[in-house]
Amino acid sequence: MTCFSQPLRWGLTALVLGLTACSETPESAGFAGLGEQVRGETFAQPARGDRLRFPEDFGPHPRHRIEWWYLTANLTTEQGEPLGLQWTQFRQALEARDPGGPEPEPGTWPLDAAWMAHAAVSFQGQHWFSEKLARGGIGQAGATAEPFEVWLDDWHMRVEDDGRWRLQVSGEGWSYDLRVTIEGEPVAHGGDGFSPKSASGEGSMYFSLVDLAIEGEVTLGGQTFEVSGQGWFDREWSSQFLKAGQQGWDWFALHLESGDKLMMFRLREAGGDFLSGTWVTPEREVIPLGADTMTLEVVEQRDTADGNVPVQWHIHIPGRQADFDVSAPQGQYWNDGLFPYWESPVSVTGSHQGEGYMELTGY
Amino acid sequence: MTVFSALLSHYRRHPLQLLALALMIVLATMLWTGVSHLTDRARASLAQSERAIAGQQELVREDGQSVSVQDFAYLRRQGLCVMPWLEVERPAPEGRVIGVDPFASACFGNEAPGQARVDALNGEPFLDIAEAAEMVRQGSDGQLSLLVPVDVEANAVPAAFRLKDFSMGPATGELGESFLLNLDALGVLVLLITALLVRSVYQLGLVQRRESFALLRRFGVPAARVQVLLLIEMVALTSVCVIPGIWLGRLLAEILGGGFGQVLESLFDAPLYAVAGDGFVLPALVMVSVVLLACFADKRLLLRLPWLSGRQSVLWFGVPVLGLGLAMVAWPFILGWLYVGIALVFVAVGLLTPRVLSHVAQWGVEGAGAITLWQRRELAVLFRRLALPVVALQFAVAMVLAVQALVTTFEDAFEQWLAQRLEAEFYVEVPAQSAVEDGVRYLESLSGLGDWHLVQRGTTRVVPEMAGDDAATSVEVDLFSISPIGPLVTGWTLLDATPDAWEKLAAGQGVMVNEQLARRQEYQPGDPIGFALGEQTLALPVVGVYADYGRPEGEILVAGQILPDTFNTRFQSLSLNPGTLAMAEIEQGLATVWNTDQLTVRDNSSIRSLASEVFDQTFLITRAITVLTLVLAGTSLLVMGWVFFTTRAWYYRLLFVWGLSRREVAGQLRWLAMFLTGAVAVAALPLGVWLTWTLVSRINPLAFGWSLPMAVYPGFWLEMLVLCLAIGLAIAVLMRRQLGAGVAAPAVANVSGGGER
Amino acid sequence: MVASLLTAQGLNKQFRSGSQPVSVFRNLSLQLDRGESLALTGRSGSGKSTLLNILCGLEQPNTGSVQVLDEVFEGDTDRQAEARWANLRRQQIGVVFQEANLMPALSLLDNVRLRARLAGRNEDDCRDWLERLGIGELSGRFPDQVSGGQRQRAALAMVFAMNPALILADEPTGSLDRHTAEDVTGQLFDLQARHGCGLVLATHDVELATRCSHHLDLGHLPET
Repeated sequence: MTCFSQPLRWGLTALVLGLTACSETPESAGFAGLGEQVRGETFAQPARGDRLRFPEDFGPHPRHRIEWWYLTANLTTEQGEPLGLQWTQFRQALEARDPGGPEPEPGTWPLDAAWMAHAAVSFQGQHWFSEKLARGGIGQAGATAEPFEVWLDDWHMRVEDDGRWRLQVSGEGWSYDLRVTIEGEPVAHGGDGFSPKSASGEGSMYFSLVDLAIEGEVTLGGQTFEVSGQGWFDREWSSQFLKAGQQGWDWFALHLESGDKLMMFRLREAGGDFLSGTWVTPEREVIPLGADTMTLEVVEQRDTADGNVPVQWHIHIPGRQADFDVSAPQGQYWNDGLFPYWESPVSVTGSHQGEGYMELTGY
Repeated sequence: MTVFSALLSHYRRHPLQLLALALMIVLATMLWTGVSHLTDRARASLAQSERAIAGQQELVREDGQSVSVQDFAYLRRQGLCVMPWLEVERPAPEGRVIGVDPFASACFGNEAPGQARVDALNGEPFLDIAEAAEMVRQGSDGQLSLLVPVDVEANAVPAAFRLKDFSMGPATGELGESFLLNLDALGVLVLLITALLVRSVYQLGLVQRRESFALLRRFGVPAARVQVLLLIEMVALTSVCVIPGIWLGRLLAEILGGGFGQVLESLFDAPLYAVAGDGFVLPALVMVSVVLLACFADKRLLLRLPWLSGRQSVLWFGVPVLGLGLAMVAWPFILGWLYVGIALVFVAVGLLTPRVLSHVAQWGVEGAGAITLWQRRELAVLFRRLALPVVALQFAVAMVLAVQALVTTFEDAFEQWLAQRLEAEFYVEVPAQSAVEDGVRYLESLSGLGDWHLVQRGTTRVVPEMAGDDAATSVEVDLFSISPIGPLVTGWTLLDATPDAWEKLAAGQGVMVNEQLARRQEYQPGDPIGFALGEQTLALPVVGVYADYGRPEGEILVAGQILPDTFNTRFQSLSLNPGTLAMAEIEQGLATVWNTDQLTVRDNSSIRSLASEVFDQTFLITRAITVLTLVLAGTSLLVMGWVFFTTRAWYYRLLFVWGLSRREVAGQLRWLAMFLTGAVAVAALPLGVWLTWTLVSRINPLAFGWSLPMAVYPGFWLEMLVLCLAIGLAIAVLMRRQLGAGVAAPAVANVSGGGER
Repeated sequence: MVASLLTAQGLNKQFRSGSQPVSVFRNLSLQLDRGESLALTGRSGSGKSTLLNILCGLEQPNTGSVQVLDEVFEGDTDRQAEARWANLRRQQIGVVFQEANLMPALSLLDNVRLRARLAGRNEDDCRDWLERLGIGELSGRFPDQVSGGQRQRAALAMVFAMNPALILADEPTGSLDRHTAEDVTGQLFDLQARHGCGLVLATHDVELATRCSHHLDLGHLPET
């Protein structure tokens, strides 16, 4: 998944708003209120009962305002050192469009959507991050479901002839080139793909691929590492953003050594946090987790350049006999783009062992 | 009581003097900060705009086709940092706008051409490329370029493309430089005036405190110690005073800056950016340095320059310097040389003026009666003792006179030119997709229609080889065509022309060029000029040179009949007087033949007011700076004059003791003060006129490419004179109040070392 | 009855110091005829200068009257009285201060000529006056180019060039060394006697005071 990470959307939306309506400054509108100011009144809104459709849902959803493709990987170098990496591509629409309708003429340099891509590598306590931007509708950035491809400039994730996905990214002084083998079926969150994001029913369409085998090369500062490991892929789209008062987001995607997978998130808000998750058993049985079935607590904060960040958490899910700590390795893992957020690999210790990724926004 | 507090006790008894000194430093700081803040902003904006138009490169297709959005996407997907740059030419007053894509320019970092940030996309001139594309779709002429950073090398470019140097606009380099140089010169002048004022107040303070100094010396305090204490005192006072000064200056600059932004935009298509590093430290340091230099420099520096210390030697030094400066300005080679000449003239005038005025005051006084003698002698003393504020006011008045004359001359010339150019009552833009011939045929079919002509604009290239002209260089110029050549244009005043210029132009046997092109390429009537027209090149004689104010581009005027069909017309419009017909009817007719319901029609007055607005903005800042300087100089002369007169109050009271009535004494004071300030105004006059001439006939042609007629405005001289006399009157009124109170005897005369004479 | 040169009767002068009136002198009277001289003594602040100012109309008493030659002033402060005083000062009353009696922008001679011109006297004698006071060769110098004693001599020359009926001198030698002071006062008394004008001299110098025909000690005035 990533994010319902408002800051990201916020940054992108700010940029888009700046382009289209200079009168509204992003600062003057609360982030949760931004959605109402984006033009286009006919965006489709996900609701309980909506169904996922494949392979179409791997492609873009022009009737929705925001969506993203997101991949994290917990890899190991040949020397056995852990290496984490992330890639995300966002699409922020300014106008809703019928998927079957005519696409805007590229020669008009249309501004119906903006794209943003993030990529990061975390290794030996260091963090590399890069950001790219593009307008939609001119071919510089886009996504297709069949054949599957998501691209922005020379960054892309696309299906190759052997059926594997290939993810190629390069930043300043670093790059990666990965091949992703997909095992298992997509996991629909919230039971059937509708993932609520507040008690009052707003939400998004959300599914994940939780069994990804990844291998490839990562080059950092001229040194190339052969890497392999497991990954997690998210697709999520929506139109209605979070409600006013929601301050930020803590999100986890964990691979447990028991073979279980856990996605869990918390939306922080003044009147009580909204907690939700999905437990996937080794048999790939999907069990939605409600707020009353689990607890999430901060164990330790870390003082970083951009403020205090909770880097160690305690998760307790009595129904799954899960009672463990999740912690980030030493280092600072800020994705320092238009709007900074924390994106780090994590390790799991306690009732379960494992690894995964953690995304923290609004700190 | 320490020596220091003894020194300071003077101000406890004379708070007015301290106030005057503090006020002067605050005002001076305010003036300088205001001006330098504005010039810094101008500099930053120009630097941005220069960066926007200089030293870029673009990618073009090997096959010669123009680049497209698909090429852009392809290049980006190849991993190249490319940004689109869609330049759209629209007819005045909108002018040129540039569509950029802030998403794409992100990879340029801070070097993005045009600083294409989201907050800069306000259409002045940058806007989002989608909007620019829409203008092109609606018929404006647009040119897409794909820019790459300067560090991209040829081997990184995909096969079907190659690198090419990219120039983003007219060569405004020299124009921008000159504008900055002008602002800098103004800033230096202001700093000079500031230093003069501070020094004068300080010196006055010294004279007033000589009693204290004498006393301290008698008590055995070494003179050097007193010097050091004075230095500390000045540093402390300046440090305190610069803070409100800087703050006020900033405030002032901010108030003026709003208008200034528009000035720059209209001049250079450059949006105004805030200046980084608005610290207090630098201006404070500059001001403290200036104050210290102004107050103490002579102790170390001037005394070592013997040619400046003697009275007679001022003449020996001043006169040759004045001559040299005048000569340098009269025959300038480059702009820098010209400025050095101006600086020399100012130095010489500053040195000579008090002496000359002092001499003039005593001129032919020998046979005069005792009272006249006293008046003249006293006046001479005032000129010498108040030399610094007198010179400061003289400079300020001269500056105001010159700038006023420049602005007014420009305004008049511009008005006249505009009136000629806007001879027609209405201007109808020809819609892009419409055939201009249909409109022309329609107008020809109308009876009762007044004068009209078709204007077509585009660009062309001067081809000197065609005309066998070795002096000229091949440059891109605007092409401006009119057909038919009729009464709407033949009334233009030409700067220079051959006989029958209009007839030759109408017959296609000659062209006219604007003043900028004529000056740059040294064209004179009769010279041949070679230029490209579509696919052909022509060589025709220049038959006339016309004035074309306010822009740097060269332009060629031709008769419409010689334009080939292949000429790429960027803009077409019809200028017409409806005659006996109703304009609405003509509009309707044109809309019908062109099959459009969106006809752009402007009337004469709307264009005129637009043009005037631009003009007003252009000179707002210059006016503001000069008025500010005048206010400061005037205030300082008022304060200084008052304080100085106060030191001589005893002597004016002697007149009263000797039997002149209060009224008579007041009359004498009034005469002295008004003669003093009036003489400053008179002394400023030649300097101001000379400066005006320098601005219009020397700086403007060198800097902007067009000159202005020299004009003088005696009405305004009178205003300045009245202002100066009012300052004098104010001094006299203040003095009269001063004399009403008891007057302390002055210090023993021999302590002053001749300071009173 | 022939009026005396100078008569003052019942002069009271008060200053305000804060809200308290401070009396400088009360009910002061004096009389001076031509050829006579009056020494005013008293410590600093006893009112010597104030009295001199009142006697030439530069200040007004709170009550009392002053008569100089034919002009009588009895509490008149109007413009006309001012004009009468100005006229007296211009032609009949010569005032010498402790210092700074000369216009700094004029030469010694021009200063004397200016004073004579204001008094309506002949300017031709001016050089003679400087000669008589022993500074003839300095006539073209400016005040800051000569010594204090020479300046005071020039001041005397100015006063005598106007041929006054009354001379008011306020510590005329106060800033001079003893030797020069004696020289200058000698000339003052000499000329005063020769011209038969009245002299009121404010001084600290008791010896000088004894040379005057009358003596008024403002420090020891009766309270009534």
